[in-house]
Order: sequence, then structure tokens, then C-alpha cells
Amino acid sequence: MTGVGEVAAFWILATITVGSAVVVALVRDLVRAVVALVGSFLGVAGLFILLSAEFLAVVQVLIYAGAISILMVFAIALTPRSARDNAETAMRWLALALALAMVGLLIAVATVTEWGPQAKEGFQETASAIGEALLNRYVLPFEVASVLLLAAMLGAVVMVRED
Amino acid sequence: MIPVQHFLLLGALLFSLGVYGVLSRRNAVLIILSVELMLQAVNINLVAFAVYLAPDEFVGLIFALFVIAVAAAEVGLALAIALRLFRNRTTANVDEVDSLRW
Amino acid sequence: MRWDWSLLAPEYLLAGWAALMALLGLWGRLRAYWLGYVAAAGALASAATSLIWLGDRTAFGDLLAVDHYTTFFRVTFGLIAASVCLISAGYVERFLRHHGEYYAILVVSVIGATYMAAAQELLSAYIALELLSFSLYVLASYAKMDLRSNEGGLKYMLLGAFSSALFLYGLGLIYAVTKTTHYQGIAEALAGDLGGTKGLALLGLSLIVVGLGFKVSAVPFHMWAPDAYEGAPLPVTAFISAISKAAGFALFLKLMVQAFLPLHDDWSPLLASLATVTMLLGNLVAVHQRNIKRLLAYSSIGQVGYLLAGIAALSPETANAASAVLLHLAGYVISNLAAFACVTVYYNWTGKEDIYEYRGLAERAPFVALALSISLFSLAGMPLFAGFVTKFVLFQAIAEADLLWLAAVAVFASFVSLYYYLMVMRQMYLVEPETRERLGVAWPEYGLVAVLVVAIFVVGLGPQPLFNAAQEAASLVYQGAATFAALSP
Repeated sequence: MTGVGEVAAFWILATITVGSAVVVALVRDLVRAVVALVGSFLGVAGLFILLSAEFLAVVQVLIYAGAISILMVFAIALTPRSARDNAETAMRWLALALALAMVGLLIAVATVTEWGPQAKEGFQETASAIGEALLNRYVLPFEVASVLLLAAMLGAVVMVRED
Repeated sequence: MIPVQHFLLLGALLFSLGVYGVLSRRNAVLIILSVELMLQAVNINLVAFAVYLAPDEFVGLIFALFVIAVAAAEVGLALAIALRLFRNRTTANVDEVDSLRW
Repeated sequence: MRWDWSLLAPEYLLAGWAALMALLGLWGRLRAYWLGYVAAAGALASAATSLIWLGDRTAFGDLLAVDHYTTFFRVTFGLIAASVCLISAGYVERFLRHHGEYYAILVVSVIGATYMAAAQELLSAYIALELLSFSLYVLASYAKMDLRSNEGGLKYMLLGAFSSALFLYGLGLIYAVTKTTHYQGIAEALAGDLGGTKGLALLGLSLIVVGLGFKVSAVPFHMWAPDAYEGAPLPVTAFISAISKAAGFALFLKLMVQAFLPLHDDWSPLLASLATVTMLLGNLVAVHQRNIKRLLAYSSIGQVGYLLAGIAALSPETANAASAVLLHLAGYVISNLAAFACVTVYYNWTGKEDIYEYRGLAERAPFVALALSISLFSLAGMPLFAGFVTKFVLFQAIAEADLLWLAAVAVFASFVSLYYYLMVMRQMYLVEPETRERLGVAWPEYGLVAVLVVAIFVVGLGPQPLFNAAQEAASLVYQGAATFAALSP
């Protein structure tokens, strides 16, 4: 992918991602928000492919767009009243001001910054390289993450058990 | 080639939308969704930086993987606590349930 | 890369112990009371195991350092967890369910806290931070039939996730500037010519500070703390106030010294202003509190302010401020745990946690009233007690770093804190009790309280050993910035 095709793909994916994100941030219906979030997840997965990080794109689709959104839909379905009264808080305008300030600051900094050489061309991401890094260089965070998942699972089970 | 700034700006937009959502929403589930948006922005940044700026030291990709794993656990746990709250009292709005004073 | 896996032995012990607790909870015939003692034994054993590396300076690959700093915090966290298990024993049996899982999660969280202190790079630090946070979210909402606990836990979790996202975003920006996640590499890159990327680095650093500010509940990022503290079961409140602060500052201090010291002139004013509002607001709002848990929550926010001031006073030349922060952290943890142990004992008897209900406690349970007064005096920083020495050293270090005004604010805030601590003591000693009926004696808790009170006096009267330990740990963090590269394989 080079040239016009790449640029077009970027803009389409960016539009999908940000457009869905706007819906997530504004809509009041829970299920619609989740569906929009899935759109955003898929857009990001596309961007990962554009960045030649295919493995991450697959993980993104499987875990985010697949598992997490299903989990959310289930949670919403299990709590019939959770969808009522979803108006914004009184902090709404403050939040808007803060978010605008933040985006302004980030854009200002991003444009001021002088980026060094950008070496995207030679980049080849492979699942084997990631696997090796996980089990070699970063084996400790990998192990700690498994303890974390165990603790989270234990906690979730305790929380929802009925006795 | 798309310059890395484009990805940074995209991330900034997503992140700010997430911040707005977290601060302006009352419903716990919607707040969790907004946090997910922020984490998406983080991941776009990490991957773009890893690919563009540090291709030999691609820890950014590994980092993004961990962020995804932690986010999944986070959603599970947050929904579990929220579910418990919904069952004990039939509302999901964080400022309404507030019997705790400032 | 070769790994010396034996360096992680204290954490294997903790993980194994956590599994044991969960299994004992499921199938054991042990009374819930005893589970607390078994868990405490595990935490103590882990702290003892970590002493094997006392004085050593090794490293687990380039991910963790196992040196005096790590050992200092391994022992601190082990002792915190053991104390909290003992405080929990009576409370958990009476008021909570799923005892085995409770202790399992409590023990597992210590692993996260330890690696926050030991980490030499951001990925390990992040995952350890999340392990600790997740455990605390669960524990904070552990009284699952109690609405206040659900709410406090949910608020804590949502704001915690939000702050993690801010932290991660900042970390991503730092990665863009420095192209590495190792503290040392970050420091090297930041010390060099940043050119046009300085703005990005500062923005990333500010976001990291804000994210960590949420975790240690610095004002204005503290709004979760009073609710989570009040809603959480009492021993969990003690645990959050001790370990989340200690681990948060262990990470914060190391990150600032080893990674961001080259930008010191830029972040010092930011942290000084954060420290100022935290000290003032924490202590001033505490004056109005009627619930003892909320009072202690705001008072611990005030203590966070002192510690932040200490971090603002860090300097590239000396390790004084860093060792003062460690010392005060230890003093705060001891005093705070003692106070919470007393509050829990009283709650176990009466189920009351409002300050006016402490009236006449001196007549009904003189030992508890005395111990609570001692720990509150220590928190206020009165002479003879641990809090005085640690605060004195800390404020001195702040003043020496040309932040005299900040030290003055800290002294003023301490006087405010003395006022509201005295109000609690007034209730206990000067107000007539409702009934004169003596409260019983809770031996195991009394034993813990006695040990902690003795520790307050030991540190208050002979602080030298603790001071030396803190100094050695702090100086190693500084040297670690230079020598770590040579050690890693």
C-alpha cells in the first residue's frame, strides 16, 4: 500500500473512527453507544493494518470488537433499568471546555514538534517477533499480567455471586 | 507516506472525546465506554510511535497489547461492580446514587 | 537474556500464599478469624524473605532492580499487609463474606505494590500499578450488600481507569520523544538536546504527573478518595490509605529521580503548586468532617501534600529530599495504621464511626483512647512521636531546597491538622460518655496496636536506624540512575 490508496484509506478509517467516537460521546442510548464503539474499534483495527501492525489488528478485532462489546451488551441487557436517565451532569460545559483545551494543546504541541527521521518504510511486524519479546525480554510484565487477570477474575466472581 | 502527526492528531481527537465523555456522563456504563475511547487513542499513539519513530525498539507494540489485555479485565471488573450496584439499587447514575457527601 | 528467577522469591511466596488463602476459603474448615492470621504470616514471611538481598545490588534483567530501595519497600509493604490482615481478622468475620478471596486479593496486591517500587521501566511499572489498583477496586467494594461500598468502589474504579488512561497517554508521548521505556534511557534522552520535542516531553510528563496524582489522591484529583474511604470496609480503608500512598510514592519518586531529573527545573514548580493546594485543602476540609473515616481520608490527603512537597524539593545534587520522603512515608504509614487499628476495634464493638460517638471513650476503653490519641498526635507531628521526626526531616529538606515558602505552608497545614485531631481527642477525654459500661478487650488487635504504638515511640525517640535505611535506599536510587546500565546483562 503506497501513495494515493494509503492516504485515502487513512482518511476513510479516520473518519469512521472519529465519527463513531463522537456518537459514543454524545448519544444517550446505551446499546447505540456500544454499537458505535464497535465501529470505532474496527476503524482503529484498520489503522493498525495501515501501520503494518497486523497482529495487533487481529487482537483488536478479537478482544475489543468481539469480546468486550459482547460483554457490555450483556451487562446492559442484564440491568433493565440501567438505560434510563442518561442525561449529562452539570459539569457538561466544564467538561467540554476541558476537552477542547486539551485537543487544542495537543494539536499545538504536535504541530510545533519537530519530528526526527520517520522510518516507517523498513518496518516489518511479525507475530513471532512479538511472541519472542513477550516471552523473553518482557517476560515479567507478561507474568504479572496473568496474576492481574486472575485477581480481576476472582474479584468479578465475588462481586456478582448471589450468596 | 502518511506523516506521524496525522496519527497523533487522530489520537488527540479520540482522547479528548473520551475525556469529555468521562466528565460529562452520569451513567456508569457510558463512562466505561468513554474510558475505552481514551485507551484507543493511547494505542493508536503507541503503535504509530513504535512503527514510525522506534522500529528497532518496538516496545510500543508490546505496550499496546498489554493495554488491550488490561482494558478487557477493567471492563469486566467495572461491569461486575456496576451490576452489583444496579441490583442493590435500581439506578446506574453515578451522581444520583450518591449518598456520600462531598 | 538470562534471568535470575530466584530474585523474585518473596513474590512467589505471596502468589502461592494467595492461592492457599483462596483454597482455604473454599474448602478449609478454618474459622474466618484464623484466615487473617494465616494471611498475615504469609505477608511477614515474604517481608522476611526479602531480607536475603539486604545490601545486595542486583537486577532482574533490565526490568527490575533488587537493591536497598526494593528491599525497603518489600519490607514496608509486607508489614502493611500483615498489619491489615490482623486488623481485618475480627472485622471480616463479622461483616464480610467470601473470606478466603478477601485475603487472597489482599496478598496478591502486595506483588503489584512491590513491582511498582522495583520497576526500572515503564511497562513493568504500569502493569504492577494496575495489579495493585485492581485489587484495591475489588477490596473497596467488598461489602457488596452495602450500597455505600458499591458506590465508593465504583467511583474509585471509574476514576482509577480514567487516571490510568491519562498516565498511559503521557507515557506514550514520552516514548515518542525518548524512543524507550527504560528510566535510564529516558533520562539519557532527556538530558541530551531535545530540540523541538521539548513541548511534547513536558506535556507527556504533566499527564504522567496528573495520572499518578489521581492514584495518590493529590488535590484536585482527590474526589474519589473520601467516598472510597468512607464506603470501603474499615480494614480496607486502612489498607488503601497505607499501601496506595506508599506504592504510589515509591513509583513516583523513582520515576522522578531516575527518568525525569533532567527536566527538574520544569516540573518542580508544578509539583510545588500541587503540593500547596493538596496540603491546604486536605487539612482545611478535614476540619468539617463528622465521620472518622472521612476525617482520616482528608488528613491522609494532607499527608500526601507534604510528600509531594518533598518530591518538588528533589534536586540533582543531593539525595536528602528523597530520603526524607521515604522516612516520612514510613512514619505516616505506622501512625495511620495505628489510628485505623483503633478505629476498627471500636467499630467491631459498637458499629459506630461518627466522631461524636467517640465521646467518653477514655472511660470506656482507656487503652484504645490512649493509643488513638498517640497515633493522632504522631500524624499531627508532635514531638516525642514518630511524626515529629519524620516531618522535621522532611520540612528541613524542603527548606534547604530553596522552597522556604513551601515549608512554611507545610508547617501552617500541620497546625491546622493538630486542631482537628485535638477535636477527636476532646470527644474521647473531655465529653461525658453515654454509658459508663466498659468495653471488652480484643486481645489480638490490642497486641497489634501495642506494637504499632511502640513503633511510633521507637521512631520518635531513636530514628537513626530508619533514617539510615531511608538514606541508603534513596542514595541507591540516585546512583542507580548511573550504575544500572553496568549491572544489566
